[in-house]
Amino acid sequence: MKNPKPPELARHRRERLWMMLQLLPVFSVLTILFGGALVLAVLQSLGFAPWFGVNTFPDFSYFGALWGSYSFWQSLALTLYYALMATFISLVMGVLLALAMVRMFPGKSLYKYLYKLPLMIPYTVGIALAVIMLGNGGMLSRLAAFAGLISDPSEFPQILKTHYGWGIIAVYVWKQAPFVTLTIYAVLLGVGRETEEAATILGASRWQTFFQVTLPQILPGIVSSTLIIFAFNIGAFEAPFILGGGYPDTLPVVAWRYFNDADYTLQLQGMATVVSIALIASGILFTYLALYRRYERRIGRN
Amino acid sequence: MKKLFIGLSLSVSLVAGGAMAEDPEATAFRDGFIAGNVDWQAVQERAKKEGTVNLYYWGGSDPINIWMDRTVAPALAEEGVTLNPVRITGTKDAVDLVLAEMAAGKGPGEGSVDAIWLNGENFATLKRQNALFGAFAPKLPNSKYIEWNAEDPRSQMNLRDFGVETGGAEVPWSGEQYVCAVNTDRVAAADVPHTFAELKAYLDKTPGKFTYVKPPHYIGNTFVQATIYAHNPDGTGASAFQESIDVIGAEELARLITPGLEYLKALEPGLLDANGGSPRYPEDPSALDGMFLNGEVDFNCKFGMFAVATGLAQGTYPEAAEQFVFPEGNMIKNKNYLAIPANAPNPAAALIMTNYMSSVESQTSKLQGTGMPPGIDPWKLSEAEAASLAAASPGLVGLTQADLDANAAPDTNATLVDVIEATWLEYIERDSTDPIDVIVKRAVENLSK
Repeated sequence: MKNPKPPELARHRRERLWMMLQLLPVFSVLTILFGGALVLAVLQSLGFAPWFGVNTFPDFSYFGALWGSYSFWQSLALTLYYALMATFISLVMGVLLALAMVRMFPGKSLYKYLYKLPLMIPYTVGIALAVIMLGNGGMLSRLAAFAGLISDPSEFPQILKTHYGWGIIAVYVWKQAPFVTLTIYAVLLGVGRETEEAATILGASRWQTFFQVTLPQILPGIVSSTLIIFAFNIGAFEAPFILGGGYPDTLPVVAWRYFNDADYTLQLQGMATVVSIALIASGILFTYLALYRRYERRIGRN
Repeated sequence: MKKLFIGLSLSVSLVAGGAMAEDPEATAFRDGFIAGNVDWQAVQERAKKEGTVNLYYWGGSDPINIWMDRTVAPALAEEGVTLNPVRITGTKDAVDLVLAEMAAGKGPGEGSVDAIWLNGENFATLKRQNALFGAFAPKLPNSKYIEWNAEDPRSQMNLRDFGVETGGAEVPWSGEQYVCAVNTDRVAAADVPHTFAELKAYLDKTPGKFTYVKPPHYIGNTFVQATIYAHNPDGTGASAFQESIDVIGAEELARLITPGLEYLKALEPGLLDANGGSPRYPEDPSALDGMFLNGEVDFNCKFGMFAVATGLAQGTYPEAAEQFVFPEGNMIKNKNYLAIPANAPNPAAALIMTNYMSSVESQTSKLQGTGMPPGIDPWKLSEAEAASLAAASPGLVGLTQADLDANAAPDTNATLVDVIEATWLEYIERDSTDPIDVIVKRAVENLSK
């Protein structure tokens, strides 16, 4: 005997189906394009590339050769140094800027648009600006030579193309500090200023207010924005390639050099480098998130 | 839905089976043209139908890009062909694209690259992978301007590309020589080095004022080759490097290149920024041009017979720049070419384009606009044509054509270039402590995999 379906159940099913449909486009892009590429990369790094006439799957020698070389660890250290340094400076500048933005000051409405400008300009333009302004033979060096501070533009202190990476970090910070600001400013607007005012009235100092009231409130914004920019920085190619100091290069540049080598079998080594970057980046990001989740649970947020 | 699945499984099985899809008409056209059964008029008609030619070339030079857009594009438009200039940062990108498409089963008529500007390793790779259109060059009407007669020693430049036989699968487009420029405002005439020993002596005195483009860029590879020629332990210079690696063998090659690489290692402390830790090698010639203009270095070595004249005209070279003979007897000379890949989607349009590029008219305007020396051979031209070509030359600054000819040396065999490049990267850049013969042996093994 068939029971007529209750109308709520039918509606519920329709809604479920609609939800699935909404999820489908992004889900398929993620699994097919991204997941497929990842699977292919892992396969290749393990020696599967019949189109170059190479098929020694599974073969861990590419990872072995890579991780066994001293230059890989040099490159990793350099990659992490640029990524962490830029993320940290962007974070400090972004938080300071966001805190200033919630207060009132003359010209605020103009400034609110101005600080977002780098967000709309591509990284490559930022890199070009760095070359034009900061390079030996750039605007600053020529102005310095013109003013008689140095006798010749080539004597200008080397800012770009060194392993200190000031040029790379400058471009990242220029682009990412506004992003951090935007995120944290949005969080601050949502929270409102009542709790801060309450803390001040109850006699908290400015430092106490920041560390015990404001910081826990903006922490979700800090974590999400630093997560995104760090993930970008560790995998970015253009800035370290153009503004970096040459060998040893950052890992993405190392991978590119392998791909660009006349020796086609080195492309597998390049894939092993790419997979290593992905492993290291995801390891760091997962640890970071796990620590943050633990902290949230400890303070009773879910 | 069912149809979609059939289509999907079909394409999967195609890829998995490695079946090569091809356009039978394109194959027939190619075979007919190579066999000489298709006359030029039929090529022109087919080219009009194809409509476009995708030319992949290194896009790092503004004068060349401008010349392509302002001169080549209108000239080809008269033939009913639209030039699609694809400007790439490295020629290898185009070679990779062709090979990747062929590996994905895109055969004759199905690819996306119609022609590539290349020479050396890139041509050798395409040839080794059987990815070339075929012996089209001698069949072009304008190939009459090129010396194909093997009995004339001057034809070697057209018949062999880095020691690899061209087999007519590429047509000469330009001929260059590796020439160095010096900023005479900064270096006294007596100090200008003409040998590697003099360069070392100069840099011991004034460290940091020299660098060369980093291998694997071919400009850097060429500097390394010239060094190796000059330090050849047998004193036979370039002639020892004309056979393939299979003939010479890793051990012998290691013996021949060791003194040159040791010189380059000894040169490192005198290079740009070497006192700040590691020497700085520019990634490409435009970066080196910038350093030369800014006075960071006093010398600029690259393929560029007319580089100083054009650089002065465009303001990209310092005003006191002059060319000089360096290194004596080892100024490498070669040609660069236009090749058509096997899977060119518009083969007839590619033939029209390569034929136009070999014309006296286009070679003259190229020389005038970009300073690229001609790829066609002057002795094959009429007197009036040769005179118009000579008149278009921007001119040499500081040395004569006789100097260039007297010090010319041939290029290194393409199979050796890969090994030497890998050895440089390992021994010089990565500061490997392994002896050179071990590095060379490893490189040879890797490359033959």
